Amino acid sequence: MSTMRVAACLTLVLLASACTTTKDFSATGYAAPEAGYKLVVMEPDVSVSLLTMGGVTEPREDWTNQATASILLALEKHQKSRGGNTTIAMSRDDAGGDPEALRELVSLHNAVGQSIFVHKYAGLKLPTKKDKFDWTLGESAIEFGQLSGYDYALFLHAENSFSSGARKGLQVAGLLSCAVGVCVGVSGGQQIAFASLVDLDSGQVTWFNVLSSTVGDIRTEEGAEKMVTKLLETMDETSEN
Amino acid sequence: MKNLFILTLTLAVFAASAGSEGARVDPADVTPLISAGYEPTDPDERGMWQSSDKIEVRIKDSNLLVRDPDLNNYVFGIIEKLLGESAKDIRLYIMRDPNFNASMFPNGMMIVHTGLLSRMRNEAQLAAVLGHEAGHYFRLHSLTRFRDVKTKTAIMSIISVAGGAATGSSGNNWYDIANAVNSALFLSVLSYSRKQEREADAFGVQLLAASGYSPHAASNVWGQLIEERKASAKARNKRYRDRSRSQFSTHPPSESRMEDLAEAAHELAMQAGEEAMFDNYHEQWREGTDSMRWSLLEEQIKLNDDGASIYLINALAEDGWESGYYYYLGQAYSLRGDEGDEELAAQAYASAVQSENPLPEAFRAHGYAQIKQGNSEAGREALSRYLTLNPDAADAAMIRFSIDQ
Repeated sequence: MSTMRVAACLTLVLLASACTTTKDFSATGYAAPEAGYKLVVMEPDVSVSLLTMGGVTEPREDWTNQATASILLALEKHQKSRGGNTTIAMSRDDAGGDPEALRELVSLHNAVGQSIFVHKYAGLKLPTKKDKFDWTLGESAIEFGQLSGYDYALFLHAENSFSSGARKGLQVAGLLSCAVGVCVGVSGGQQIAFASLVDLDSGQVTWFNVLSSTVGDIRTEEGAEKMVTKLLETMDETSEN
Repeated sequence: MKNLFILTLTLAVFAASAGSEGARVDPADVTPLISAGYEPTDPDERGMWQSSDKIEVRIKDSNLLVRDPDLNNYVFGIIEKLLGESAKDIRLYIMRDPNFNASMFPNGMMIVHTGLLSRMRNEAQLAAVLGHEAGHYFRLHSLTRFRDVKTKTAIMSIISVAGGAATGSSGNNWYDIANAVNSALFLSVLSYSRKQEREADAFGVQLLAASGYSPHAASNVWGQLIEERKASAKARNKRYRDRSRSQFSTHPPSESRMEDLAEAAHELAMQAGEEAMFDNYHEQWREGTDSMRWSLLEEQIKLNDDGASIYLINALAEDGWESGYYYYLGQAYSLRGDEGDEELAAQAYASAVQSENPLPEAFRAHGYAQIKQGNSEAGREALSRYLTLNPDAADAAMIRFSIDQ
């Protein structure tokens, strides 16, 4: 996905049109997990909110719970279809391993994931990581793999917001304002998700993908399946470099 | 055109609400809106709770969290004293942050900065702040604020806080955690209105008196904070302004709030009658925070705000000078480094080693100060004493080198 296309899509977002983009990275020599692998999904973080007229996102518990259930279902289905054995660890106690070490590992992944986002997506490119993708969680991830018996850990974050009726009115007003020469962009609801795959054999973050979309509804099983399929699509592609 | 209309409307509502915020709130009017075991039912409130729970998971993971069980039990014990049965709805997290602050999330997560503990002179003072925070919870302030923000009436103040949040983000502060999980919620927790602050004040002072704490402790906390900020401003050649130094401080100290609290305390004391037993629980405070006392002061000194630090140490020491107060006063003078500060620091270190239960570090500082002043014999002796008291010191080799010089 080129920067141009992302920019074009962002413009479309402002104009409230339908658009979905993904941008993924994989480590050099990345090989898609092979059949029979054991994957643990670590504390999947899903949130669904209502975008109020003022542009404040109001978290909604009922929607969030629906979406979490739908996404987890879609995730298990998707992994099963490619021969993976998936465990969903809703809390750290379900993940196995040493809880204190796991606390550190999850925090470490939060930090590493954030820096991947900042340096690969947000445009603050690091000269030494220009054409590389070599982030790692190091020894602690390997130890967790040995203790728990998992081959991979998948970190997943998904959020979806929906415009309230009043917000939609404001979007229309914003569009209309273009007619008189002053465009006021009012963004509508959207989907943002990212997934990060950690190889517990090497400790490396081997694959990372970010999805953003102006359409779709992850509360429904169908919508969640679409999102998961799109998000995890390139996880199956063995890297060519 | 439509936008302009909304903006005008917003400003009108904003101006209308600002007018009513100055009035004093009678503690008797501030009753809890929720009782023990409260569970939210409205969708927006449930959403806020769920988001707060997510922040809480990350707070529990944070390496800024002070996990010392004795200190946590002691501080939670104060919450129990104040709230009785309802205390079970509050979860306390003491976070390392040398700035004076405490925050209350809508789900009952209460965050207390170490910088708050370092400024308290007794248990009653801390109880005053904890009671104030509990007021935000039992009066559903976050929810009201969040609903306010949604309808845009409060958007102006939120924007000003957001500006501070963006520049203040440094990665080593718990605010970043909350901000990353849900910035709108976080901002509504940080930006209570003045009226809400006054309500929480009234709620807290009432709890103080009802729990046997001196209700005057509440206005004392603000009095100290205002004096500290004046001292800090003066040391930096700035004029003190009646507002908080940090955008994050949700409790801007103001003279009028302090006066209201003093008045409320007076009334409550009168109501309770002469036989009422109010106490500051100074001894309990000393015992409960004993393991942390000096490390709290050290955090403050490292802020390099010597006006505030020197004021604070002198204020704390009003209850009795101890070795640690002298030692950290010396450190503050050394850091300031104005003319004559070297001598002041040396005097403070000398007092520190002569006090009861002297801190080992005081001998090190005293030793070097003496050597610098030409009293090498006395200096070496003090350094040796430091090594005797602290044989495993990380800097032992360097100290030995200095002794042998």
